[in-house]
Amino acid sequence: MILTTLRSPLLAIALVVALVAAACGTNNGSGNAGGASGAPASAGGSQAAGSEPAGSGAASPAANLSGDLTVWAMGNEGTKLTTLADAFMKANPGVKVSVTPVDWGQAVAKLTTAIAGNTTPDVSQMGTDMMGQFGATGAFDPVPADIDASTFFQSAWNTNQVGGVASGVPWYVETRLLYYRTDIATKAGITSPPATWDDLMAMAKAMKEKGGAKWGISLGTKNWQEYFPFLWQNGGDVVDASGNPALNSPQAVEALTFYDSFFKAGLTPKSVPEGFDITPAFVKGDNPMFFSGPWHLGLIDTAGGADFKDKWAIAPMPKKVTATSFLGGSNMVVYKNSKNKDAAWAFVKFVSDPTTQALWYKTVTDLPAVQAAWDDPTVKGDANVALFGAQLKDTKAQPVSATWSELSSAINDTLEKMTTGGMEPQAAADQMQKDAMSIGVK
Amino acid sequence: MTAPALVRREATRGAAHVAPRHGWRQDLIGWSFALPFVILFGVFLALPILAAFLFSFTSFGLRDITNPIGASVVGVDNYAKLLSDAKFWKSLGNTVYFVVVGVPLTLALGLVIANALSRGITRFRTAFRVGYYLPVITSIVAIAVVWRFLLNPDFGLINLLLAKIGVNGPNWLANPALAMPSIIAMAVWRNVGFAMVVFVAGMQAIPSMLYEAASIDGAGRWQSFRYVTLPMLRPTILFMLVITTIGYLQLFEEPFVMTNGGPLDATLSVTMYMYQQGFQFFHQGYASAIAYVLFVIVAIVAFLQFRFLRSET
Repeated sequence: MILTTLRSPLLAIALVVALVAAACGTNNGSGNAGGASGAPASAGGSQAAGSEPAGSGAASPAANLSGDLTVWAMGNEGTKLTTLADAFMKANPGVKVSVTPVDWGQAVAKLTTAIAGNTTPDVSQMGTDMMGQFGATGAFDPVPADIDASTFFQSAWNTNQVGGVASGVPWYVETRLLYYRTDIATKAGITSPPATWDDLMAMAKAMKEKGGAKWGISLGTKNWQEYFPFLWQNGGDVVDASGNPALNSPQAVEALTFYDSFFKAGLTPKSVPEGFDITPAFVKGDNPMFFSGPWHLGLIDTAGGADFKDKWAIAPMPKKVTATSFLGGSNMVVYKNSKNKDAAWAFVKFVSDPTTQALWYKTVTDLPAVQAAWDDPTVKGDANVALFGAQLKDTKAQPVSATWSELSSAINDTLEKMTTGGMEPQAAADQMQKDAMSIGVK
Repeated sequence: MTAPALVRREATRGAAHVAPRHGWRQDLIGWSFALPFVILFGVFLALPILAAFLFSFTSFGLRDITNPIGASVVGVDNYAKLLSDAKFWKSLGNTVYFVVVGVPLTLALGLVIANALSRGITRFRTAFRVGYYLPVITSIVAIAVVWRFLLNPDFGLINLLLAKIGVNGPNWLANPALAMPSIIAMAVWRNVGFAMVVFVAGMQAIPSMLYEAASIDGAGRWQSFRYVTLPMLRPTILFMLVITTIGYLQLFEEPFVMTNGGPLDATLSVTMYMYQQGFQFFHQGYASAIAYVLFVIVAIVAFLQFRFLRSET
């Protein structure tokens, strides 16, 4: 902290506006500047199938496009996007696409700076939970009418509705399923995955008591993405039909009570070390169940090795009123400031074409947001991936809100107070509702 | 009047004669040397500081980033809101806790080590000094990663040692009561080297005849420390006290890397809260107000320290 010691206290103030005053990104640390609320995790798979050129007929046969196109993409997608860019350029020789990979940790700062300084790219990837925040700046170009909403998963399409205007096109999606250890379940006398909430609770108990696992399940102490599926499954929602917060509805209180009961019964750890990684704990058998997205398929295979393959499985969400899961992922947006909007939209149409979507799945194992892409034999072929595909039809996402990062952080705080601090579910629900009213959900 | 003085006066007069041209040119040279700093200071410090002050009276946020001038003026609303913001008070309480415990610990330990290295230990003195100073120049991220391993409840060294003596070690960073003490321990360990170096330098400036005189008067080790070292070091201690307090009031990196302000906001510092408001929630106006409140607190604390500690001499 010697550096902190020597700098003037005013520097702290400078920090606040540096982003505004200086056009260069202040990349403050590598932490979770924006990813705090779990910027949609990218598929961790490294299944880079030989980049077979996309069905070139996919690209819209629009008028001769030309000029330069800058595309920003984050994380794993950012480093692999050149595959799609090359395919696009093959179909449109007049256009030169340059891809800029952006680190997820710095994405929010970079995008904010770009929008503030009018230096946006033509096209960029946009996490579904970031749409509202950046949409509020008015930086996105509305989606042209010839892009057909019905080709996408409905809940993925909904994430692009900024103030009622479609402002982005779903690119890839992810959803959450239950991962569980079949061997421990068998030992505990359970042969089928949990179909209902009661089954889930009974299974967690059996896993711990009869199966010999250290814990029954692993639930996040402060993760809205894990709580919301229970809220939705119970018939509740973040907002009601008229768009007002509904976080303390009876359904919400019941969902919170159920969620908290795993903590109260000692079936899931109340605290884990910073940087806790579920994968080794799952392989070791400490936490024999958890909810996660498709990226864990590859991670578990890598960590478990060949003889672990028949010791685990994934299952759809348990059902209460519904069996809804969380939908995340990323959209593609075109910026209003783009000088080459025709080419930009052509590129977005290209990446949301079923053929390209299937190619993209082969490149980074990102789940296609376009329903037709699921007919591709490669996507359909993997039984586990097919389960994700089936779950995607029953998913919901957080509301598109300019203040979502603040509200989700407040919800996480309250969840933590409930799961580890002894706050009662009713009080937690009321606190969430109060925060949602004051922070806003629109 | 002696000759040289006369000559000097003549020379001065001569210089004064050509002063306008000569001075202007010198000014120009001077300014051109100073210019890079002045520009950098102006653009990256003075301007943002001024802008932040103005922003703290607006609701400047994400919607305004393309047109900062258009942000709506809200008067002192941000400051009024701060007064009733429980999370801000919590973060201020945490920061005060960190300062009140951390600063005396850092200074006392630094003083003890410096004294030992100056007057006690003579062998391997350099090795010790380097050892204590190394954490100061090590990257905070590297340190935080190592400390996270040390404090890990399952395989961390600290809990392994505790297990050896039959104590079941806690989950340090995930326990609201222990997270801040853990952060303090790390901060003290990291900063004590700097205090030590400054105190060693201060001790070297104390004339050895004072210690000789004291020992002739029959003073032991403790007495010469109490009645010679401490009074002679007073200005150095004051300097370190002010500098360390200012630095600790801006606690940021440690919780940012180690705990992200948790658990249950137990390690959320004012600067971290400001960062959250400004860069995660995009309430730059509100964040600017927090920054100015912190600035005023820092200024008052530094002023009081100077006032009370200096007057005692």
